[in-house]
Amino acid sequence: MSDANRLTLGEALRALPLAAPPGDEWALLRERLNPAQRRASAWRRYALPTALAAALAGAFVVLRVPPASRPATVAHVAASSSTNGTATARIHNAQNAANPAELAQLQLRSQSLERWLRQTGRDAAPLQGQDLAAAAEIENLLGLVDVELAAPRQVQAQALWQRRVALLEDLAALRYSNYRLAAGGATAASWQID
Amino acid sequence: MEMVSASIFQIDLPAALIERVKSGDSMAFEQIYRRFERPVYTLALRMLGDAEAARDALHDAMLKAFQRIGQFRGEAPFWAWLRQIAMNEALMRLRVGERFMVSLEAAGVDADAFADDAPAPWAHADARALERALAQLPAVTRSVLWLYHVEGCTHPEIAAAMHKSTSFSKSQLARGTARLRTLLDPETESVPCLMPIA
Repeated sequence: MSDANRLTLGEALRALPLAAPPGDEWALLRERLNPAQRRASAWRRYALPTALAAALAGAFVVLRVPPASRPATVAHVAASSSTNGTATARIHNAQNAANPAELAQLQLRSQSLERWLRQTGRDAAPLQGQDLAAAAEIENLLGLVDVELAAPRQVQAQALWQRRVALLEDLAALRYSNYRLAAGGATAASWQID
Repeated sequence: MEMVSASIFQIDLPAALIERVKSGDSMAFEQIYRRFERPVYTLALRMLGDAEAARDALHDAMLKAFQRIGQFRGEAPFWAWLRQIAMNEALMRLRVGERFMVSLEAAGVDADAFADDAPAPWAHADARALERALAQLPAVTRSVLWLYHVEGCTHPEIAAAMHKSTSFSKSQLARGTARLRTLLDPETESVPCLMPIA
């Protein structure tokens, strides 16, 4: 397709009028926001115990990573995020000023995790039920982090990379149990992320 | 000041408004909602092809935006962050509805059957005809066309969002374009204005 035709189709599609939902959707949404706010305060009330529990669950994966490749500034102090409570995400000791060495280490760690996830994705049994929902939720959160990382200006790059690594670790923890089940437990001793 | 250009989402917001929402101000969120209601709904409607599903996606996307706004660090524009949430909501519904399985490859459309320099019928089609033609495409194909042309997403971005390959995105774009051409071409899709009397 020529550039001219491509532009023309894009222009034609962009010229279509914006669609509007049928009724006053804000009135309906407002009713849902209030329970959401209540849930948010309840989350804060129970954040510490939940965080501790999830940190223990996630520790297994983190401990298996060679210490040299673990980002030193990441504080795995808490967990549990997301709207439906199925996924976990650690809260980090966010440092706004980027340290180039630590940033590079976080990026390497992120690459290693992604590589591992790709490999296990091929070998593991498909996720189902709650695990699938949790994985989808983590992937959605990763997408949001990536939107911010794609921005040209990076003031909080380190904090974003820390969050990205934490989400990938959550995904790895989820996938790991599935991977181990698919392999009949035989891989437990050999599993390691570079 | 609001600026609307390439993406239908491209509306700039004052940082102070976002900060108010972060502090839990639902009235400030209403202002954001009002500005983005149509872009979110339109994206969902174009991707899903179903008004009720688009309405659900609008509600859930906005609810998640409100709940997660504390995670927004302001590196990227707010509209890009919200658009990602809206895309995720629509894509999730495509997967659940198994509409993800149907694409124009399955329908056997040959994208190569159309010459590069063939005339573009959408240049002359009115909005309703183009909307009708879009509605006839499989949801995945329509989504790829919309994300590429209207939202300016790249093939790798579309592929990542859909958990497909870049070549899948490219082929859907080519095939969807070819199919639109067929649907809009008056030579092949015209309806006579004088119907024979039975």
